[in-house]
Amino acid sequence: MSNTTQQSGLGFVGQSVKRVEDQRLLTGKGCYVADIEPEGVLHAVFVRSPLAHARVTSIDVDAARRAPGVAAVFTGADIVEATNPFPPFLMLPNLYTPLHWALSDKKVRMVGDPVALVLATSRYLAEDAAELVEVDYEPLDAVASISDALAADSEPLWEKADGNVVYDQTDTYGDVDAVFAAADRVITERFSCQRQANQPMETRGSVIEVDPDTGHLTVHNATQSSHMLRWIIAALADKQSTPSSLKSFVANKERRNAFVSAAKDFVSTNADSLQEQDNAGMISQVKADKSTLVHLQRIALGLLGRDNYPTVKAQDIGGGFGAKGSIAREDVALAAAAIKLGRSVKWIEDRVENLTDGGHAREETLEVAVAVDNDGTLRGMKVDLIVDQGAYPGFPVGAPFATRIMKVMFPGSYKFDAYGLRTRVVSTNKGKYVAYRGPWANETWARERMLDVVARALRMSPTDLRLKNMIGEADMPTKMITGPTLDETMSTKKTLERAIELVDLDAFATAKEEAAKAGRRLGIGFACYHEAAPGPPDYLTSVNPGTDALSAETARTTVQADGSVVVYTGQMPHGQSHETTYAQVVADELGVGIEDVELVWGNTDRTPFSVLGTGGSRGGPMGGGSVKYSSRKVRDLINHQAAEMLEASPSDIEIIDGNIHVAGVPARGLSFGEVAAAAAAGAAPTDAAFEATVDYGGHGDGGWSTATHVCFVDVDLSTGIVTIPRYLVVEDCGPVINPAIVDGQVRGGVAQGIGAVLYESSIYDSDANLQATTYMDYLIPTAAEIPDIEVHHIETLSPGENDFRGVGEGGMIGAPAAITNAVEDALSDLGARVTDQYLPPSRILELAGII
Amino acid sequence: MSTTNVGDSLGVVLTINGKRHMLEVEPRRSLSDVIREDVGLTGTHLGCEHGVCGACTVLVDGQPARSCLMLAVQADETEITTIEGLADGDELHPIQQAMHESHGFQCGFCTPGFLMSTVALLSENPQPNRSEIRAELSGNLCRCTGYQSIVDGVETAVSLLNEAQGNQP
Repeated sequence: MSNTTQQSGLGFVGQSVKRVEDQRLLTGKGCYVADIEPEGVLHAVFVRSPLAHARVTSIDVDAARRAPGVAAVFTGADIVEATNPFPPFLMLPNLYTPLHWALSDKKVRMVGDPVALVLATSRYLAEDAAELVEVDYEPLDAVASISDALAADSEPLWEKADGNVVYDQTDTYGDVDAVFAAADRVITERFSCQRQANQPMETRGSVIEVDPDTGHLTVHNATQSSHMLRWIIAALADKQSTPSSLKSFVANKERRNAFVSAAKDFVSTNADSLQEQDNAGMISQVKADKSTLVHLQRIALGLLGRDNYPTVKAQDIGGGFGAKGSIAREDVALAAAAIKLGRSVKWIEDRVENLTDGGHAREETLEVAVAVDNDGTLRGMKVDLIVDQGAYPGFPVGAPFATRIMKVMFPGSYKFDAYGLRTRVVSTNKGKYVAYRGPWANETWARERMLDVVARALRMSPTDLRLKNMIGEADMPTKMITGPTLDETMSTKKTLERAIELVDLDAFATAKEEAAKAGRRLGIGFACYHEAAPGPPDYLTSVNPGTDALSAETARTTVQADGSVVVYTGQMPHGQSHETTYAQVVADELGVGIEDVELVWGNTDRTPFSVLGTGGSRGGPMGGGSVKYSSRKVRDLINHQAAEMLEASPSDIEIIDGNIHVAGVPARGLSFGEVAAAAAAGAAPTDAAFEATVDYGGHGDGGWSTATHVCFVDVDLSTGIVTIPRYLVVEDCGPVINPAIVDGQVRGGVAQGIGAVLYESSIYDSDANLQATTYMDYLIPTAAEIPDIEVHHIETLSPGENDFRGVGEGGMIGAPAAITNAVEDALSDLGARVTDQYLPPSRILELAGII
Repeated sequence: MSTTNVGDSLGVVLTINGKRHMLEVEPRRSLSDVIREDVGLTGTHLGCEHGVCGACTVLVDGQPARSCLMLAVQADETEITTIEGLADGDELHPIQQAMHESHGFQCGFCTPGFLMSTVALLSENPQPNRSEIRAELSGNLCRCTGYQSIVDGVETAVSLLNEAQGNQP
């Protein structure tokens, strides 16, 4: 499978290089977690609560323990005894994060809450035994919705919380009251988004291998974040008493020194970020739950008191979309069981579990008020946001942090004189909220929907209103009202102007009239946004001071003694084609072919540390930047070595197709093997001949990714079915590494956005029973529903040197607004007001006044 | 009449990718589990285990089947083709080659099912148009691509297969 299509000499970056991953994935030779089966492994099944909210009065596992093939059954009490609770990860002022354990013990808080873990010699026998576990529950009132959670008499999920509102925060920018009082009019609308699920085609799963001699754990896992998983399992799965950890730490000088040097390293690398942090979040947390400090201390000392941390090995992963960036409670329970038993265990989640407990998102209500002058000048915006985070907080990134991004991004690419946001996060008896592809995306949906509402009220065209208020290059450099700097990479206006050229609004108006005569309703909808991918240096500070360190990525580029190029990344690819795109970047830096570059990822023994792994559209800008700069350093080392061997100056060294030579004299060239062998002479055979590690924080490089989406709909009022005859995206993520891969990311995101509006809903009944637990009820759109999607590129260069910008999330950020705007346009003469994101056929018919 | 208990194993003969396997399996075990666990061919993936996502699609006597919904004992004495049976050594099947050229897939998890469904589609209808491709592949779910690149891949496969046939004497 050679890449013969690219033109040589032009470089690989910018070309649709064919995927390196395909050789194994197209032939069935990929290795996903379910494919790993250690000798003698025990298969796990979790016993889950059938009730949404209840006290567990008794649990009887005797019959299950006696069942054929069963090796062990762990109850919630067993796991609470053996493990530490999930602590708060990002503590915010006015936030309470409930501490919770891997299995539930005395109380269950959602349908599907795990209460016991059965381990048997086969999955079939474990399922049989799970049926024999008897649990008695005393039901409590279920909190099934945001309005239930806000009710004064709502049954609290967490004793230490103040009711079911766990976060209540108001942020204002400018003089909101004065701006609203002075504007010609104020327009208000209340929007509501249904609960959705990430739904990668591969469910979650973990195979935990125990080394019988050392007890060392090797965790094979479908995770977006291998290092985070390693640390959390080390921190939680094997609780040690504080005195014993302390004793172990003090007794081991080597470990003490290693800790002190690592801590110094971290502090010096992240000095700015750490300086920005204050204790306000910790104070809120401890005020609500004093035990937090006890647990945090025991967790921290537990980490210091051991040096046998698990190894996480993640290989091929069948998608994630944010869900696999969350650390599964199940993984901690499994690791605890493996440690207790000294035996390897395996859990592959089934689809019903995944739809129930594999991660939900987006259930939010947003009341938006816009102050606007009669000429269409936007003056101010006020938002009242309420997020339903379900029963358990997503770890590490859950709803509260997502709201901080929403806070910053809500004003979008438009000028406002003032802006205010009240944010509440509530607990309900439903699945946990996780990051889902553009976790803040409902700010774009609500704002772009609202702009159409405002345009209609002012009798302006939606595109004119946007163009009038959008920040363009003439205004730059400037800042969003929420803080982040806007430079020329915030090119939303260029994408909108290009989109308008591409669609021919006059022709559409004529087509719409013609169609109406034939009883068909056509509509068009626009949506515009910019996203931080990675954003300017002041972006994360605006989101939450001190979170900058989350974004950095480290890469190590090596040339081995035999001349082969091996690159190590902390990124955790799960469909984004890193092996191909990073090989393109490295090959250009080193002057070698795509096939000459080997990428190592996923194995925490071999890869550099990354907090988040893959997520947040950071693979291109941050991961790509780290790979580029570590390879550039190695190139410099090669140049010097070759210069010595060829008796030339390092600046005269050229490398083409792996031939290292003095510029213009390719015939007298050296191979990578020859140069590496010379450099490695005398070194140990395992040492790399050349290597460089770069910790890349992205400061000052990159910037924003932007896009305009345009959706055309055709609404059939006899069935309520919406079809999409045309959908186009004009996007700008700067210089594209691989156009085919970028187009795939955009289209995949749009498809999920189409699913969100027309098909997908994790709906619960009033007792908080999930109604969509199979793919017969939770409808993933198919090839028959998703149209061809046009993707047009604008490539605005940024002032920084590393210009790769992220593109993974954008498709899903723009799509729901474009589609819902198009539906309202199609039904406008019927007076329809689209305030829900979810528009299945029945809702369309209601909006049209037919049912 | 003899009775069989749940735990009793039955003898089953499966010919998978041309190789004959004589197996003892419990009647309740799915064909997909037997292919993956007993035969060790893990290219067939399980996405939903209730017959919707299509990731586990294999060919049973040439017909596409959800191997998660079929019991191994039901497949006794059949010829089964899995993803591992498509390529000829290192040489990709034209459908695999076409998907590579079209950047058909991303994470690769749904891929085996799509490829097997495509084999079945093109054997029934060697010249499908774009909407026929979309309709025929609507029994397979992909969460990554938005399907366009997969449909492109099937179209490319049609031309590759035509070329291959045209080149034959």
